[in-house]
Amino acid sequence: MHIEVKTVLGKDKWFLSGASLATILALLSLLGPHAVPFDPQDMSFEPFARPSWEHPLGVNDAGQDILSELVHALGNSLCFGVFVGALGLLLGVGLGLAAGWFGGMAGRVIMSSADVFMAIPSVMVLILVAALLMPSATVLALVLVGLSWSTTAKAVRAQSLSLRGQLHVRASAHMGGSALYVISRHLIPEMFPLYLIGFVAKARMAIFMEASLAFLGLFDPGRKSLGGMIQYALRYYYMDVWWNWLAPAVACLSLAIMAAGFLAISLEKVLDPRLRSRWG
Amino acid sequence: MTWGSGRSREWLKDLFTFGLAALLLVCLSYALPRLMPGDFVTAMFASSHVTLSQEQESEARAYFQKEEGFPGYLLRLLSLDWGRSYALGQPVSSLIFQALPWTLLLAGGAHLLASLLGFVTGVEAAWRRNSPRERALVGLATVLEGVPEMALAAVLLALLAFQLHWLPSAGAQTPYAEFSFGERLADTARHLALPLATLVLAYFPGNFLLARNSMVMVLGEEFILTARAKGLPDWRVRYHHAARNALLPVVTRFGLRLAFMVTGVVVVETIFSYPGLGTLLFNAIRSRDLPLIQGVVLFSSMAVLAVNMGLEILYARIDPRARNAH
Repeated sequence: MHIEVKTVLGKDKWFLSGASLATILALLSLLGPHAVPFDPQDMSFEPFARPSWEHPLGVNDAGQDILSELVHALGNSLCFGVFVGALGLLLGVGLGLAAGWFGGMAGRVIMSSADVFMAIPSVMVLILVAALLMPSATVLALVLVGLSWSTTAKAVRAQSLSLRGQLHVRASAHMGGSALYVISRHLIPEMFPLYLIGFVAKARMAIFMEASLAFLGLFDPGRKSLGGMIQYALRYYYMDVWWNWLAPAVACLSLAIMAAGFLAISLEKVLDPRLRSRWG
Repeated sequence: MTWGSGRSREWLKDLFTFGLAALLLVCLSYALPRLMPGDFVTAMFASSHVTLSQEQESEARAYFQKEEGFPGYLLRLLSLDWGRSYALGQPVSSLIFQALPWTLLLAGGAHLLASLLGFVTGVEAAWRRNSPRERALVGLATVLEGVPEMALAAVLLALLAFQLHWLPSAGAQTPYAEFSFGERLADTARHLALPLATLVLAYFPGNFLLARNSMVMVLGEEFILTARAKGLPDWRVRYHHAARNALLPVVTRFGLRLAFMVTGVVVVETIFSYPGLGTLLFNAIRSRDLPLIQGVVLFSSMAVLAVNMGLEILYARIDPRARNAH
């Protein structure tokens, strides 16, 4: 798996556009809350006020400034995505390495449960947990982590099985390297592209899920979220809320998912050289 | 006959995996209400929109706190006795079976259309790869792939229903209208158009990109060169030799995308108030109608599992390599 990740990606226009989009959105959600003058929970403005200098995107039904709502919601969505992506990846890599390196009964159990978890429709579990227990967003993110490790685990296991048989890894083990040494020195670094794609795919899925769950009203209603904003804006479809309320939320959500999608596509090309010359 | 036993073992493994997944989901729906500390019924309904009568409250207590044990619960599920909706008063099973045809029509129709359209355009695009039009189409599909259903629905709703007034914005039929059969059909189709278009637009890019990529791979194989060298007509090479082999990854990836697709259906039905399972679930969530939430969630997960298992078996049948591999 010796791939010149940097040189391939640096020239890829999907990667560049995805990375710049992601950077812009991340900056917006990090700096935005400090730049907007209002607290998103501040309900002291005139409901449904049209956009003005004071409120560039107007005011929502509850008398909250929509721009402040938007940047906080974007931050929450991205946070959810990064959290699930990172933890899901960690769990997947750990279990995949364990199954691939040690194999045997433990490996079989891990892989069978990966199959089981892959079959379970995660949205249904999330809805059930959210509706019955009304947990915090963090708990729901952890549930999603528990449901989304399997694809990475399978990929990592397959890759580490093939790496384990390769000459340099065998040499390293024969030299007297411990399992920990071989895994950390040879296996983990060589699978680097797998981590990128696993992270991006999970983050994308998590942002989509968060928006959908928020849209269905399954999060704490005080927590700002893009899906929740779309849900509330659509309730007032008969009023003039399309451009200042609905459109910004729709655009932010789409751009976030798009950024992750662009990155995933370019990374897939890196992993599969057969696609590289043919994608354009 | 060595492969015969291998195949049946594979089949058993699938059955085991999906059976375990189903069991896990049933256990979850059994355990979650019982895991909660304190009085479940008071906790859930104190803050809800539903006010329970004395009788309903004792019924709810009996429902959630009766120690029927897991086998009893399983038996009840299997006999389609899924309790009664608190908000609507009807049996959960009859509500689900009323909503199911609409969801099947919408989701099934959208999936069928999007797969067919995606596959054919994907095959044609791969054939003309690197032409300016093909590049534009791939770019467009990649961008569209990033737009979630709720965004697509909002845009279509704003444009076609509220700006242009071409299509109705909600429901599946015009209520109380006295229609002949033909008019009823046309009315249903008009109501179906917007949610269906949203879902087709949401599903199409994935199908298209997948079909295109797998077709591009197949076109690089040597047997395609052979087929062309034999002087076969283009369409024959394209469909008889290449597309058949490009179909496999499209089918196998479907299982992974299914969870996304289900989420999309729930959201789209909600936005267009389409009377399927998604809207039923949304309304149940809003009114904290627990038996109904549990019923819809369990029923839809089982349906997804069944579809997934069917695909897994189908996959083993259409892929000659999978058949001979064991």
